[in-house]
Amino acid sequence: MIQFLHVWKTYPPNYRALTDINLEVANGELVFLVGASGAGKSTLLKLLFREEEPSEGQILLHGKNITRLNRHGVAQLRRSIGLVFQECKLLASLTVLENVALAAEVVGVSKRESRIKAYQLLRELGLKDRHDATPLALSAGERQRVAIARAVINNPILVLADEPTGNLDADVADETMRLLLRMRERGATIIIATHDFDIVDRYASRVVSLHRGVLTEKPGWQLARGSGR
Amino acid sequence: MKLSLLGFVFRRVRSSLRRLLWTHVLTAGTVAMTLFVFGGFMLLETNLQKLLNSWGDQIQITAYLANDLAMGDVEDLIKRIKALAEVERVRYISQEQAWRDFQVALGSQSGLLEGLPREVLPASVEISLGSAYHQSPAVERLAARLSKETQISSVEYPQVWVEKLSLIVLVVEWIKWVFAAVLFLATFFIVGSTVKLAILARQEEVEVMQLVGASEALIQAPFVIEGTIQGVAGAAIAIAGLGAAYVLLEREMASMGGLLASAGDLRFLNLKAIGLLLGIGWFLGAVGSLISLRRFVRTWHASGVRI
Repeated sequence: MIQFLHVWKTYPPNYRALTDINLEVANGELVFLVGASGAGKSTLLKLLFREEEPSEGQILLHGKNITRLNRHGVAQLRRSIGLVFQECKLLASLTVLENVALAAEVVGVSKRESRIKAYQLLRELGLKDRHDATPLALSAGERQRVAIARAVINNPILVLADEPTGNLDADVADETMRLLLRMRERGATIIIATHDFDIVDRYASRVVSLHRGVLTEKPGWQLARGSGR
Repeated sequence: MKLSLLGFVFRRVRSSLRRLLWTHVLTAGTVAMTLFVFGGFMLLETNLQKLLNSWGDQIQITAYLANDLAMGDVEDLIKRIKALAEVERVRYISQEQAWRDFQVALGSQSGLLEGLPREVLPASVEISLGSAYHQSPAVERLAARLSKETQISSVEYPQVWVEKLSLIVLVVEWIKWVFAAVLFLATFFIVGSTVKLAILARQEEVEVMQLVGASEALIQAPFVIEGTIQGVAGAAIAIAGLGAAYVLLEREMASMGGLLASAGDLRFLNLKAIGLLLGIGWFLGAVGSLISLRRFVRTWHASGVRI
């Protein structure tokens, strides 16, 4: 379970990105985080994978306070989280297979085993014929699938996706969503920050809205759509 | 660190060496030049010391004995002098021997000595010093000590010579360390700059590694290993260069003949000195990388990027 307890985030000199966030996400839950650009969606995700520290409050992941971790603790935390970004963050100097295997290799899985796991994932995601290509040779949709493969190779307990369908057309966006949902079936909690309301319409299970750093969770997500636009 | 992680680190090092080959070559070359100059001074110092030691063997103190000493007193005195730590060899020269030596020295002009009493030349003791005591203060101390002996009327030693020899050794040693300080500092900065370039070239890779949970040690290790390779390779190049210069110089000196050839064989750096050069190379590379990495990491942290 993820718990945000009175979490505030203020950037110097005095910009308040998040205001008194209180949120609980159960294990295996799919949550959409919606809101306009600058509403605080990415900041909230960054607090979860400790790219940022909250100014006040606590964030608990399976009961463990992750707000005051040392660098070793942060690295350990990130091994249990899969991250997917709009810009994919793939390394152009590595092949598709190497990009995916990298995430397993850095946590101590052998080169051979990492590559086998990466190849299996790429096959599952329909990219086995592209394993030897570099990311630059891929389409936007293919790149996003590679990023998802890298995010899930270590079987994370939590997948955080920041605008994963941002640059994709409707079909590819749908496919990307299906892949993320497959991770949920394996027991991972999924939090997706998006302002793609069509996606939310199709897959919504729980929607949390952020408006200027204030969280408004309401039963009907249409309210969130209203405040997000 | 797990074996698989070690393999990962070395694959990153190999990839970096390939991608940034010329940056690494430049750094290794800088380390090599620094250590070549430093090693050159070590070589000069080694050979100068060898030369000074051979000259130093000729440094001796002459103690002139009082007249009319009984042979027993002379033997006692020699025994006491031989027991001194600084003394390597003692040679007694009787009045008779001194007279004969002087005649030989005068050669065809030895007729000048006719009519002079043999007692005019005193008996003496020639004292050779151990190689560790060729420096000026040691010689002076011993001479002062001998002067206090009642059986000795006066003491002579080549003071100016001793002082000059000591000064030359001191100057070479000082120049070596002053050069070393300046060159090592410059090399530290150059190694540091290379590491910064390497980090900047791999900033994206470092960022991705952080995001997938790579530990700090795993991210930093390749940079330190690269620094080690640069430093040790630079030292090896410097040693090879010094070896080549040594062979050329030795051949050149042998063909020149005369004084230089008679100075005896040149001596190359011993294993300890070679080890020292490799150690300094490693230190400049690895520690230079680590210091620069830590400084760079602090700057990154301040600007919000974590490594």
